Amino acid sequence: MKIKELLKSDAGFQYIIDIMDLMSAAGRRAMLEAAFRTSAPELEAEWDRLEAAIRATNDIPNRRYYIDLRHCLMCLHDLSGTFASLANHMPLNEVELFEIKSLCSLSRSAATAIEGLALGATLPLPDCSEPFAILDPDHTGIANFYIYDSYDPELPALRRELNALQTSGGDPMRISDLLARQSEIQNRVCMRLSDELRPWTETLVNTMEQMAYADFLLARAELAIRWNLVRPAVGDHIAYRQLFNPRVKQRNEEMHLRYQPVDIEVRSGVCLITGANMAGKTVLLKSIGTAQIMAQCGMFVPAEEATVCLVEGVVTSIGDDQDEMNGLSSYASEIIKISNILQSCRNERLLVLIDEPARTTNPVEGKALVQAIIKILESLPSITLITTHYGQLGTDCRRLRVKGFVEGMENIPLTPQSINRFIDYSLTEDQSDNVPHEALRIASILGCDEQLISLAQENINH
Amino acid sequence: MPFISEILRHRSLSIVGLEKNTGKTVCLNYILHRMNQLGVHVGVTSIGVDGEQVDSVFATAKPEITLFRGTHFITSEKHYLIRQAVSRLVAVDSQRTSLGPLVTAEVLIQGKVLLSGAATTAVLKRQIQSLDSMGVDISIVDGALSRLSLASPTVTDCMILATGAAVSANVKQLIAKTRHLYQLICLDEVDETLRNRLSIIESGIWAIDNDGEIHDLEIASVFLIDRSEKDILRFGHTLFAAGAISDRLLKILAAKGKDITLIARDFTKIFVTPEVYVDYTRRGNRLMVLQRSKLIAITLNPTSPQGFLLDSKSTCDALSDALQTPVYDVKKIEQ
Repeated sequence: MKIKELLKSDAGFQYIIDIMDLMSAAGRRAMLEAAFRTSAPELEAEWDRLEAAIRATNDIPNRRYYIDLRHCLMCLHDLSGTFASLANHMPLNEVELFEIKSLCSLSRSAATAIEGLALGATLPLPDCSEPFAILDPDHTGIANFYIYDSYDPELPALRRELNALQTSGGDPMRISDLLARQSEIQNRVCMRLSDELRPWTETLVNTMEQMAYADFLLARAELAIRWNLVRPAVGDHIAYRQLFNPRVKQRNEEMHLRYQPVDIEVRSGVCLITGANMAGKTVLLKSIGTAQIMAQCGMFVPAEEATVCLVEGVVTSIGDDQDEMNGLSSYASEIIKISNILQSCRNERLLVLIDEPARTTNPVEGKALVQAIIKILESLPSITLITTHYGQLGTDCRRLRVKGFVEGMENIPLTPQSINRFIDYSLTEDQSDNVPHEALRIASILGCDEQLISLAQENINH
Repeated sequence: MPFISEILRHRSLSIVGLEKNTGKTVCLNYILHRMNQLGVHVGVTSIGVDGEQVDSVFATAKPEITLFRGTHFITSEKHYLIRQAVSRLVAVDSQRTSLGPLVTAEVLIQGKVLLSGAATTAVLKRQIQSLDSMGVDISIVDGALSRLSLASPTVTDCMILATGAAVSANVKQLIAKTRHLYQLICLDEVDETLRNRLSIIESGIWAIDNDGEIHDLEIASVFLIDRSEKDILRFGHTLFAAGAISDRLLKILAAKGKDITLIARDFTKIFVTPEVYVDYTRRGNRLMVLQRSKLIAITLNPTSPQGFLLDSKSTCDALSDALQTPVYDVKKIEQ
């Protein structure tokens, strides 16, 4: 699986990709093509490289090398089209040859910066001095390019004559002949240079990809520094201390609202999350999904301490997927999604995140469906988190409850904006089979119609 | 050697035509020739071969210009590969146009080149900066079609306006059309304090009251304004339009009252027809600009594409009289 395929999940990982500070289009492509890794040694190696990159980014005495490197990456062009032509035995034109020469020269400058940052082992760049030499027949060392006189014995004399005629306004017919001949020679030289460069195709492709990888790596380092991300340990369960959701944290900070990170630990099997409305259950699912994807894509995670259990993938059913154009109702599209999730879980070990399943149908059948989903997932090796408002489900799976409203706040005037100050988002083990009943209270805090609330309250009392 | 020394006091020059076939290329070739004789290091680029509007057949029909040794130029990959000058590539831009990426090269042996360039003024500004960093003494931008945006003082320091028989074969009409644009180019500037305060505003129509306070009239665009806009003058008679100024806006203002001063960013943002402008000013209103473009010269091409030929001397004199500024027949200067 690749990062670009994970963007479709509703775990909120897209936000992380959006805030990545990449310098080049090639780097962005490298990021989207990067793998969701499932092998612990591979991930540990990837995190080692990230750690090295973070050290280099924070290396103030060698800041100029870091700036040089970022600048090189900014100048990196995506030459995949040119390399494809080269591999397919198509002759390159002057502009393409120049681009290859520039890449060789760029990789030399980048290599110097990488050495200066002591990242030589982390970001080895292939040696491009041979292909550079092919495009630098006069050994100028400069990354300019044209079909140099020295490429063909006929060119110097031809151009001397051309120059003389052009500057003196000589015979147009002769000039036209010379230009045609020059063009012929140049095409021949381009073909020859393409042939000479062809054996270096792999080196050149590696150079570009390695530089694109460097771009992605440095962007991950920037991300880790900016958000104070932590390197996770690999274990047989998932555990976070002070897990946060970057997107929600950012939004809360912008609105001067408090953000409360949470501690959570989950193992194979099903864990039910209950709690009042607005207690952050959906955000919690998204935070766990985002952190898992980040970790397995070689990033550090938004927490103070983290252990991740490597899974084959992250599958989610979060949010309302109602799609009139599909002819599917909310319930239909949700149940199809959940059915697909169950299918995948029979083949692979996944992280499964399901937000309030069967909430859009009648409570009798809805509850029965939730019970069945839990029973099936309990028997499979996946790690499952399900949020629900249904009580009395009669299962013995683990339950975590969001603590929710802080007691003793009843008399303080609440507003939809200030409500988050009175909610404790932390989780507590819950042995009972009940769920909190705070829907009416929240509706009243939100300033909903009084008659609606009082009538509903009467219904409950009867 | 008319107007060359004047050009050399600036870092960038745009050549814009009132119409196609008004002799921009002849003018550019003349300037390049003179600059070469003077040993000036020139950078050349263009604007306007944008893929949406101009097909490559049309683009290749663009006249070629002759570039001399040492000149830096920017063009598209496609046009670069069919050049007749011998030149050395020094940079390739990562942004692509419909004719491939823009490339920068230095001429080794003089010859003809087709210019194509940035599609937007933002990219053009970057290109001028990059030519600057390569050490050119002056950057010259060849206008395409009847685009004027490149002559904005925020893009190029000075401009040449090319006019001619292609605008109209009737000398009176030719003069009227040229004079209209000339008047807009020569609009008075506001004082520096006001300019600094207004230039940071990006959109909308604003009023400046007698105490110099600036008020947003909360009209997002001149295209949304209509006659029911009753109190557009509630803060006073001085207005600033951050975006384009259209006939519609001038008509509404002309109907509202007199002694109105409407300020535009620069003349390239003013899209008004001569009739509406005359009616607006006749009522005692006026237009001003934040920044005026430096007009170096007006050139005339007496030949129209249909083959119609005006008398060069009398037309130049008539235009010169009407505009009170020198007008040159470039083909004659060249000889």
